[in-house]
Amino acid sequence: MISETDARAVCHKLLSHVKAEDASVGVSSEDYAHQRFAANNFTTCGLRENLSVSVTVWSGKKRGAAATNAVDDAALRRAVEEAEQIAAVSPVDREYLPTLAAQTYKPSAGYAETTVKFPAASRSRLVHDVIGMCEKESVTGAGFFQARGTAGAFATKNGNFGYERSSLTSLSLTARTPDGTGSGYFLRNHYDIGRLDTARVARESIRKAQTSREPHTLDAGAYTVVLEAQAVADLLGFLRFVFDARSADEGRSPFSAPGGKTKVGEKIFDERISIYSDPWHAELPGSAFAQGGLPAQKMYLVRSGVLENLVYSRFWAQQKGKEPTPGPVNGILESSAPTASVEEMIRDTKKGLLVGRFWYIRPVDIRTLLITGLSRDGVWSIEDGKIQYPVRNFRFNQSLLQLLAPGNVDLISSPERVGSSEAQGGDSNLLPALKVKQFNFTSQSEAV
Amino acid sequence: MDRSRRTFLKQTGVAVSVAALPPWALELEAAEAAAIDRAKLAALALAAAKKLGAGYADIRINRYRTESVSTREKQVQSVARNQSFGFGVRVLCDGAWGFAASRDVTEASIRRMTAEAVAIAKGNAAFQRKKISLVPAARVSTKWKNAFVTDPFDRPLDDKIQFLLKLNESALGVKGVNFVNSSLSFVNEQKFFASSDGSQIEQYIIRSNPSFGVTAVNMLAGDFQSRNSLGGPQGMGYEYLENHDWLAEAEQAGNEAVQKLKAKQPQPGKRDLVLDPTHLWLTIHESVGHPTELDRALGWEANYAGTSFLTPDKTGKLQYGSKLVNFFADRTQAAGLATVGYDDDGVPGQKWYLVKDGMFVDWQTTRDLAAQVGRKNSYGCTHADSWGSVPFPRMPNVSLEAAKSDAGLDELLADVKDGILIFGDGSFSIDQQRYNFQFGGQVFWEIKDGKKGEMLRDVAYQSRTPDFWGALDALGGEASYRMGGSFSDGKGEPGQSNAVSHGCPVARFRQINVLNTAARQGARS
Repeated sequence: MISETDARAVCHKLLSHVKAEDASVGVSSEDYAHQRFAANNFTTCGLRENLSVSVTVWSGKKRGAAATNAVDDAALRRAVEEAEQIAAVSPVDREYLPTLAAQTYKPSAGYAETTVKFPAASRSRLVHDVIGMCEKESVTGAGFFQARGTAGAFATKNGNFGYERSSLTSLSLTARTPDGTGSGYFLRNHYDIGRLDTARVARESIRKAQTSREPHTLDAGAYTVVLEAQAVADLLGFLRFVFDARSADEGRSPFSAPGGKTKVGEKIFDERISIYSDPWHAELPGSAFAQGGLPAQKMYLVRSGVLENLVYSRFWAQQKGKEPTPGPVNGILESSAPTASVEEMIRDTKKGLLVGRFWYIRPVDIRTLLITGLSRDGVWSIEDGKIQYPVRNFRFNQSLLQLLAPGNVDLISSPERVGSSEAQGGDSNLLPALKVKQFNFTSQSEAV
Repeated sequence: MDRSRRTFLKQTGVAVSVAALPPWALELEAAEAAAIDRAKLAALALAAAKKLGAGYADIRINRYRTESVSTREKQVQSVARNQSFGFGVRVLCDGAWGFAASRDVTEASIRRMTAEAVAIAKGNAAFQRKKISLVPAARVSTKWKNAFVTDPFDRPLDDKIQFLLKLNESALGVKGVNFVNSSLSFVNEQKFFASSDGSQIEQYIIRSNPSFGVTAVNMLAGDFQSRNSLGGPQGMGYEYLENHDWLAEAEQAGNEAVQKLKAKQPQPGKRDLVLDPTHLWLTIHESVGHPTELDRALGWEANYAGTSFLTPDKTGKLQYGSKLVNFFADRTQAAGLATVGYDDDGVPGQKWYLVKDGMFVDWQTTRDLAAQVGRKNSYGCTHADSWGSVPFPRMPNVSLEAAKSDAGLDELLADVKDGILIFGDGSFSIDQQRYNFQFGGQVFWEIKDGKKGEMLRDVAYQSRTPDFWGALDALGGEASYRMGGSFSDGKGEPGQSNAVSHGCPVARFRQINVLNTAARQGARS
């Protein structure tokens, strides 16, 4: 991966070719390795190295952009020329703002060299051990291990520069029972491979497979549910896209209000819930660079259930006389009240369902944040404070606004680091398990 | 041999107007890169792999170019060109795959990455439980391009900007329309493949994706409705923008977005559905394209995309739909997004039936999957979305045959007493074994006593794959057949994106479960 010295040199060289009045340039590099396995067997495994540059210029406020992964001197010059040629034939960028001058960034800590340098032989051994655990428990394992390192920098013609490295590793495992009736899944990720508990991933997945065998069929309907952190991560992935201030001001957001207003200041969620971003959180370090190159800061979107902030781009902030928003760069949802563990949530449930994961979640109606999807890899019936038996999967149609609304959230656990399963662990959040009073399952699914 | 792009195009029969070519800087770079002696580099990799002990090896040296323009209302938001060039070496050692890729296309890098790929394969082979093997593939040395007329990368940028701004103007001309977003994306793949089987294949592929979305807002009521384009991406060149009346569609979209604000909600329950090809392609994709992927049936996708309700023992035995239902896979289909000359195993594009007269009859296969189930040949479904991605099973174009009649929309509506007509793709979701699905759309019309009635909104339908296709009782003829498709179908770990088309005629389905998605807590039937 590219060093800070080399990245600075590449940015400097790109900017030296720029004739336009303003420009933003970037360089990014990646070292990536993965091991995929299925049917208790290695399938596709490999590694990739890449380095690419990007250039955006404004000439007479006309914008052009180009990117390439050829990075010799001539190629850098050509990338700049390409961007300038595009700008020359483009209309004026009405949303142009001068690029930022030098900023002060407080570094975050989301990089571990041991993750990026994890040897191929160790990757093979890790997967072999997971498969071995599956074989020992007579289940069929399919899974995915990845380790990624990225390093990159950006610079502006007005004097700003930033360099950052990050790493991410994850392991996910789906264990299926030989009779085809049980399936379990578990996924965890971390920036530091030393803190990725691979044995726990295997153990939990296998346990879920074995305890989800021969599920009962229950009618669809509204159920009290205990949602494990993985299920919460799968559901709430859509929240990150809806805090855009411009959409809300334009009347086409769930946070738009009648009369051209927004819901900022309104209590939209249970009053224990806060959603915020913190680039320096020890468990979930985020980038030091927020949108538009702003220095990232800890910032709240929702505090004590109240919609506190929407996300203003630099342009939209200027239009509305606001400050541009220094985030979010990660997502943390936590409770201001004492928390309960999943086990305590189960003990507290007279009748309900435990859900470990959701799948194929898509928006249905953005106005209410209505989403649809299905449970996957384990649903269990809870009666009288105990798990009684596994249940077949369901399709749900559920509004996220109603899910987290005052009166619907019963218990909240302390948050843990978890990534959404559709993102394959490539995203990271700190999210709790939740017990909610009503969750709307609308049809049965016989899929296992 | 001169491998420059322009020479390649001449050799493969594409007419190029030199005067129309803009002097793009990256174009020069592309020509330089194409001039790299890929055959020599490939020979180096294949020889090194063999020497290190690989039983099979291939190398892809590929360039990917994209151009995108996006606008909203009366302004251009971004114009960008991107290109990515690199190579990926894949080896099979003692029944285990290894892969390594780099942007550094030099002899030294190819030697290093070939050794890395072999080391990965051998490291895994030491623990491999069941050896992976390949069915044979014929040795091929050829060049191929898809059937575009006008290379969009040769068209001036201003044409594209004006195309979008006029489209926006057309939509914004409708009273009540507040917003319109539009974009153009063009992709060019310049692929070189060589394998230890002796094959050497060059391919040049163009795809185009125009799209737009129109939004009407009722600020007072705090309500908004959108209508997205119905056209979809195609495996065509710039001619796709010129052969379709996009301005008329944008105006129609504007009218329909405004109309949706006041449209009725549906009564939930069982209704007959008449589905236009602009909608049905996505249902085919999810409920037929994916379940017939053999890797899913064998559990190779169990950790991500899922498995399938189909299993090898159901081949030729499972009734997938009504007798009218014939699905074919086709990597040779004109304008198909997944149309190729050869797949990334070096196997030629083919056409075959997946479902015949309603019966499930066959799978999508690759060289390694075919060997797993005792087949002798691959249907050529291997694909990687980049030089840096591992080739693996991806969907060919999967399409529904039209009826051998001249029936059209009116004929299908005529026999519906109470139903819904749906255009365009909307919300979509299906379970991991491809049984339970739910689809929305863009525009919904009531059908009453055989005729199109009032507009509806907030409609979705939910069904189970064999039940749904079993409920098909009428198909339109060839005149109603149309291709839809996706520019970015996700699958695999790490995730890869595939472009794929699905053709179909208008079709009618009896008594499907309809949902009202605006009902409180949504979608109870």
